[in-house]
Amino acid sequence: MQKISPLRSSIEAFNKFKALRANKAQKEEKAAQTNPFGITFKGTVIQMDVFEKTNKSEENKNHLNSLKEKMQNTGKLLASAWVGTINKFSSLKANAIAFGNKIKDNTIATAKKIQEIGNTKIEINPFKYSVARLQNQPVSELRTMLSNELQGVSNE
Amino acid sequence: MNNRRVKNIIEALGKHKDEESIKILNELGTNCPIDEVREMTSKALIRKNTHEALEIMIVNKGKGINDLSARVAMCAINELLALKDKQEALKILEDTINMHSEKEVQDTARSVKALMSFSS
Repeated sequence: MQKISPLRSSIEAFNKFKALRANKAQKEEKAAQTNPFGITFKGTVIQMDVFEKTNKSEENKNHLNSLKEKMQNTGKLLASAWVGTINKFSSLKANAIAFGNKIKDNTIATAKKIQEIGNTKIEINPFKYSVARLQNQPVSELRTMLSNELQGVSNE
Repeated sequence: MNNRRVKNIIEALGKHKDEESIKILNELGTNCPIDEVREMTSKALIRKNTHEALEIMIVNKGKGINDLSARVAMCAINELLALKDKQEALKILEDTINMHSEKEVQDTARSVKALMSFSS
């Protein structure tokens, strides 16, 4: 029979204990892995609640990011709206100026027309230019009348 | 330009007994840039059927039957053909054919004279 030394026996006992502990840990790990909401941390099952805090911080981060984006977008929108308003005002201004100029031109044209009408002598004599009447007028007068009529043509 | 007024004035000058009216028509009417006015003037002057008026219409280059506008020239020729007494016109045409310096004017006068002799 083999003589067992105390050191050797203690080493063997330690190895057995080690193997048992490894087996036990493996079993627990397997059991924990079946739980979809938890993982083992040094042999203990970590529940879903544990991740709540980290999840919240991520959500907060995301929330903050989205808020930041929203703010940026709002800023962009505001800027574009402001530019649009400026354009609108400038076009309104141009339109107003054009309208004013048109009114001014029209007024000047009307004033000129009124002046012209004021300067024209209105003669209501339908027989003034009849051939029979003209025939009896002196030639010099006819010359003046004809040259006046033709002068208007050359000016046109 | 008032067409009716111009037409009446030219017509009145054509019927006017004063010889000065021929000068006015020659000066203002035949030199007008508007064809219609020249046409009316041609009619008025030819209807006068006087030596001086017919001479303006037949002898002068660019006026009457020698006008650059075919419409005005044809109107003058028609008016000459419509004259009751063509004697004075034929005499002036004959003189133009024989004595005018421009061949073009001579040829036109010859053609018009031929037309007039056919129509009478």
